Amino acid sequence: PSPPTPAQTPAQTPAQPSAVTPPSPADAGYVGSETCKGCHEDQWNKFAATKMGRLMLQHPRSAKEGMGCEGCHGPGKEHVEKGGGKGVGGMITFARNDKTPVDKRNQVCTTCHNKGQHLFWKGSAHESRDVPCTSCHVVMENFTPKHNLARATVIDTCGQCHVKQKDQQLRSSHMPLREGKMTCTSCHNPHGTISVSLLKEPWPNATCFACHADKRGPFLWVHAPVNESCSNCHDPHGSNHERMLKVAKPRLCQQCHIESRHPTSPYGRDVSSQKFVLGRACLNCHVNIHGSNHPSGFAFTR
Amino acid sequence: GTARAGAADDLMLGGFRLSGEVEAGVREYIERPPESRRAKFQEYEDMRPGFFLNYLRLSLQKPDGMYGMDLYGTRWGFDDQRYEFNVGRLGLWEMFVEWDQIPHVYYTTARWLATETGRGIFTLPSVRPPLAVHNSAPSLDEIALQTNRGLIGLKLTPTPDVEVTTSYQVIRRDGNRDFSMAFGSPGNNFYGILEPIDQTTHDFRVGVAIAREQWQAQFGYTFSYFANANRWVRADNPCFSGTVVATPGCAANDFAAGSPFTGQTSLPPNNMANTFTGALGVNLPLRTRINTAFTYSLYLQNDTFLPHTINPAITSPDLVLPQRSLNGIVQNFIGNFTAVSRPFGSLPLTLTAKYRIHDFQDNSDQITFPGFVLNDKTLEGARRAGRWSWIRQNADLEGRYQLFAPAALTIGVDWQRWDRNEHREVPVSDEFGAKAALDVTPVDWLLARLTYRPTFLRIERYNSAAHAEHAVAEDPVTALQGQSVLLRKFDEAERNIQSVTALLQFTPLDRLSISPTFGYRWVDYIASSLGLQQEQAWNVGVDFAWTPVDRVTITASYSHERDTSKMRSRSRPVTGTGATLDFVDFDWVSNIADTIDSFTLNVRTTLIPSKLDWIVSASYQYALGRIDNSNPIIPKSGTAAQNLTATAQPWPAFEDELATIETALRYYFTRSWSASVFYSFQTFRKQDWRTDTLNPFMGPDAVWMANDSRNYTAHIIGASLAYRFGR
Repeated sequence: PSPPTPAQTPAQTPAQPSAVTPPSPADAGYVGSETCKGCHEDQWNKFAATKMGRLMLQHPRSAKEGMGCEGCHGPGKEHVEKGGGKGVGGMITFARNDKTPVDKRNQVCTTCHNKGQHLFWKGSAHESRDVPCTSCHVVMENFTPKHNLARATVIDTCGQCHVKQKDQQLRSSHMPLREGKMTCTSCHNPHGTISVSLLKEPWPNATCFACHADKRGPFLWVHAPVNESCSNCHDPHGSNHERMLKVAKPRLCQQCHIESRHPTSPYGRDVSSQKFVLGRACLNCHVNIHGSNHPSGFAFTR
Repeated sequence: GTARAGAADDLMLGGFRLSGEVEAGVREYIERPPESRRAKFQEYEDMRPGFFLNYLRLSLQKPDGMYGMDLYGTRWGFDDQRYEFNVGRLGLWEMFVEWDQIPHVYYTTARWLATETGRGIFTLPSVRPPLAVHNSAPSLDEIALQTNRGLIGLKLTPTPDVEVTTSYQVIRRDGNRDFSMAFGSPGNNFYGILEPIDQTTHDFRVGVAIAREQWQAQFGYTFSYFANANRWVRADNPCFSGTVVATPGCAANDFAAGSPFTGQTSLPPNNMANTFTGALGVNLPLRTRINTAFTYSLYLQNDTFLPHTINPAITSPDLVLPQRSLNGIVQNFIGNFTAVSRPFGSLPLTLTAKYRIHDFQDNSDQITFPGFVLNDKTLEGARRAGRWSWIRQNADLEGRYQLFAPAALTIGVDWQRWDRNEHREVPVSDEFGAKAALDVTPVDWLLARLTYRPTFLRIERYNSAAHAEHAVAEDPVTALQGQSVLLRKFDEAERNIQSVTALLQFTPLDRLSISPTFGYRWVDYIASSLGLQQEQAWNVGVDFAWTPVDRVTITASYSHERDTSKMRSRSRPVTGTGATLDFVDFDWVSNIADTIDSFTLNVRTTLIPSKLDWIVSASYQYALGRIDNSNPIIPKSGTAAQNLTATAQPWPAFEDELATIETALRYYFTRSWSASVFYSFQTFRKQDWRTDTLNPFMGPDAVWMANDSRNYTAHIIGASLAYRFGR
């Protein structure tokens, strides 16, 4: 048996959450998804296997969803009547060479995807540069197990443009991205957020605290730049310095600290000052550099 | 496949269509890195040889697609196993469960004489051996951490425009990290030890979203609780056991009477966070949309303080704690407002305005301690623990104009202000910026994005004594030894930034895309006599994706990055009277440069349709770090010893290199059965003078663990069998 048409579906599935009245073929130039299938059976079948396809072709919850193919591509009557073909009938193809402006194309998606992670799409970094949703997502088939991504993984998808950040995962000091334990969306929401750099949490440190709650404090003794941003010292995308530090120790610390009693030219002649450079360098003594709750921990040594 | 219900080739189970896939195999090493070289190799992975169940995917779905359940698991039984399960009714509800394990091996080279007699209690022989004996200490198996994360959640969509989500997550961490403990100051008599990790984080989230055509609103609450089973770590002093006996390798002061024979350091306290969020988006006339959001979070911490010291030789009424705990309270308020409008009908001009405020208020008690004990060794004067509050505001205005069909120009200005309380050096700073961005699509197969952004940070005043003023109570000598008045900390210093980014996307064919990228950033710290002077970073990269025929997919990328910075500092000796010497000729300059090249390649090809696939992926990364030190003027103003200390020394370069190749052939016997053989190669090489030659004992009164990441090479072969059922 063939899949139910949108017009049939509501009646056949009384457990639908809401009553649905999809447009009839006569409405505003719509022809119905079954007509589309007549010529685009391969695409139709692939789409029907997706979560969105099941929803729109079989179990629509709203009139919009019930429009099936035309819910996104626009009314197909003119396209059909002119015999079909690429670009015929003014349909939105979402292809790279689609003449439909990007914001119009994206508006099709955001009509439904307008809450949760998508609430702040308008005005976001990607939206404001006219990045099409279809740069990252392939809607018509289950190309990836989740999220219908355009590339095999989230990292590859983001890496299309963010090559530097993608390659940073190869560095000797990195979070477990290339091992598949994290991905870009572990920290970022590419659809827009209220935070900087499209971070999922409201501010940078809160993003880090999601996994590193031990750094959250508040501590008795506070290292002020730590409180302001973890990224003052760390590059979370990966680094060639241990602990994803932005600059090699001890120079990183010395960019802010010229304390007395701490020799700064410590390699080669002065053996006693090796301890300021070798191993964990400054952290050989200042172990609790993220903050200390010890009454005598003002220098983060306790 | 299609959604044909009950088709003849469907595998049915209890009215559900069943499908899935399982793959198991065996892995063996041609060359396995020895235990001492495995740290980087198995940093986040369990790479045991032998049998493995690589993955199992199981899917049950009603023929009409309405109800479904999915189970996915990978690397079953290994320390890095992961499972996902979800069940739900299409478009109405979904329950999801996740279990993920992440090992983190830090080091496998540590040598250590101490024994852990209780959790977080590290003891040495009661008669401390000469420090050189630490060099022949037994090896530790590994310094590693295991993180296990569990998540259960529910998403309800009672109507398409209402969504309710709730989840509970627990993160458990067990293991050790490298740590150390000082028994003197500055920088002498320290011992590399372990930080015991037994930490649990509980997160509970609930959120509601309502979306109408003209407005959307959502609210959320998150409760997070962090519990640490270890509040402290104790370690024996390798130089002193309580009896005044000279320990070879230690300075006399290290084993003087009254020195600590055991020290105690605090570990992260329990804490909790409550976070409330609210957001509203409204579509207004004139094609205008506003988004507004707020977040209020409350961080709380009230763990009982440890005593100043556990050294019984140090007693003083000044060490009576003024209160038992911090009463730690930090309030975060974050407000956001965004308006986007295209108000002028057919004029293709989009205006965007954004404002954001983050008010970080640390309302914890500000405690003055009448005295404190430096590293369990020296009784010192009063210290005051300041609270660090700040407000950060950002405002952006930009207009985007569609110049003509294929080109859009964005012009914008922005402003960032930091208001910090009096404890930081700069109470107020303003950073003004501008932005010009051009997006051009001159032809179907080319997209160009270019962004130029200058910013200028200016401050009202820089108080280099701000930190000391609040922290060092009644101790003017120590205050004088604080920061140089010439220093400007880089995060607060006046600076000019110029940055350019460019992205080109060539798509000459439907299935070919080539995306070169370029980035350049120049930072000039214009008023920093000492401190960071300049930073320059540039990178080029290219992403390549090509599917010449259906059977072949090639993706590749290359990037080159060079980050340089120049800093100027000063050697400042302290005399026996406590005076700090400030000689101009004791200045030194450090030019720091990191150069990194990265390359990746992935090829998937079907050699025989429906029969034989070949996959190969490779990556290569090389990083070179240089720190070149010099003195602008030859140091002559001090004593011979001081001059020598102030003389900049050359530092060798450090570098690391990683290369990986993985390749697999998969043969499909039938639609259901397939087998693969694979080969994997990894090699890692590094040179870092700061750790390569590290012995536990290297010089006076310091004992490391000699923990280091070593070079490795691994060759792995294996075979697997996969069975796929259903559709």
